[in-house]
Amino acid sequence: MDQHRIAIDPLASVEQDGPAHRHPPSNPAAAVAVQADGLHKRFGKLEVLKGVSLTAREGDVITLIGSSGSGKSTLLRCINMLEVPDEGRVTICGETIAMKTARGRTLPANSRQVDRIRTSLGMVFQNFNLWSHMTILENVIEAPVHVLGVPKGEAIDLARSLLDKVGILGKADCYPVQLSGGQQQRAAIARALAMQPKVMLFDEPTSALDPELVGEVLRVIRQLADEGRTMILVTHEMDFAREVSSKVVFLHQGRIEEEGAPDRVLTNPESDRVRQFLSRHLSAA
Amino acid sequence: MNWTLMWDSLPRLLAALPLTLQLVALALAFGAVLAFATALLRLSGNRVAVALTSAYTFVFRGTPLLVQIFLIYYGLSQIDLIRDSFLWPVLSQPMWCAILALALNTGAYTSEILRGAIETVPQEQVEAARACGMSRVRLFRRIVLPVAIRQMLPAYGNEVILMVKASSLASTITMMEITGVARRMIAQTFAVFEIFIVAGILYLLINFVATRLIKHAEWRTTPYLRARA
Repeated sequence: MDQHRIAIDPLASVEQDGPAHRHPPSNPAAAVAVQADGLHKRFGKLEVLKGVSLTAREGDVITLIGSSGSGKSTLLRCINMLEVPDEGRVTICGETIAMKTARGRTLPANSRQVDRIRTSLGMVFQNFNLWSHMTILENVIEAPVHVLGVPKGEAIDLARSLLDKVGILGKADCYPVQLSGGQQQRAAIARALAMQPKVMLFDEPTSALDPELVGEVLRVIRQLADEGRTMILVTHEMDFAREVSSKVVFLHQGRIEEEGAPDRVLTNPESDRVRQFLSRHLSAA
Repeated sequence: MNWTLMWDSLPRLLAALPLTLQLVALALAFGAVLAFATALLRLSGNRVAVALTSAYTFVFRGTPLLVQIFLIYYGLSQIDLIRDSFLWPVLSQPMWCAILALALNTGAYTSEILRGAIETVPQEQVEAARACGMSRVRLFRRIVLPVAIRQMLPAYGNEVILMVKASSLASTITMMEITGVARRMIAQTFAVFEIFIVAGILYLLINFVATRLIKHAEWRTTPYLRARA
């Protein structure tokens, strides 16, 4: 019953708020949180990223859009080195991830550095990826306790407040299988937030959800955007992208085709490709 | 059927039960350590480690346990190098030879069970742990191993049953465990049927308890499989 109300809410609010609800544009004076320079990534013969650069300043909400195979998820996954770029540099909050070449393959030079940097990058996956053998509460406190060394009591307090924030405190002692997709994804968001990351990365967070469950997850993400969190988001929800983004980046075949303020890119794109993409996606929505 | 004889044989066969349990328990314990190390080396990707561990599992799964026991008990004692080495006090005893053979054998099977279970841990859950900044060791300990062990319990339960039965082969190298005692009593009484039936019942009882224990462990460690909204 509760779910139902939440599910309807965001769609309604998009229409009601209309153009009034917009994320503030990027602040050029803010510090750079994520900087990717000239990223190339090949899977075998297929070159998925062909030299992509991206800058996210503190408080930015950057949305990556594009058709499937355009490289947007790969770009996101290169930021926390879940995919290792063949060329290019990634800098998080001023610290560049050191790379090395071994037997013709590029790898992070220091896995400890990567592990440490990852603690400041919260990641939310398309399929939630919750740990199935742990309860929701255990999922949320796992990394704070065992990676950051936060005392367990403190971690539990934070976890409970985060679960309350995403609206599933009542499910704290349930296992992931007992939750709906939307609830699992909200738990996954709480798990990422529990690390108190500087940047949140969302990889198509609503693509695996039934349509009626999409709203409850978008509502949580929008709330985070409104709090001024730095976020990079891969999504197919164009209305949502328009509403929460400070910048929209359109990728096409491994390159950035167009980027800019959401109102401009999504309403009045310069590129025909973006226009075509939007006509397919907006009519579908 | 001589019921009195069966009844009278029971105390002596029961007296051999601790030795059977000891053989099985020690073989399983050493075998588990061996299986764990083997599975990790096998998954390490190091070519030498993979080749060595593959050879080990191939040999010990591909040859009869009885042959392995004979090779260790009779074979090793013919090598001077071993007779002169610090290993001899151990390898000259049939008890340790039997444990060694059983442990090497179950270690090979269990390592394959464990490797299979580790490989079924969903990659997505591993990725989520990496994204949180977990180191490889911690990820293995906290995410991969708990899921893998729960996954492997049913197959491991089978392996335990096989080991209980395989321990009877130790009787061929003078061990007076249940089967050894049974054979000696048969040699004295010629009551093949009666005494082997009692021995068989004892093995059944051990395995009954063993399967219950494994089932209980399965039940205890998988609340998330029973949980439904």
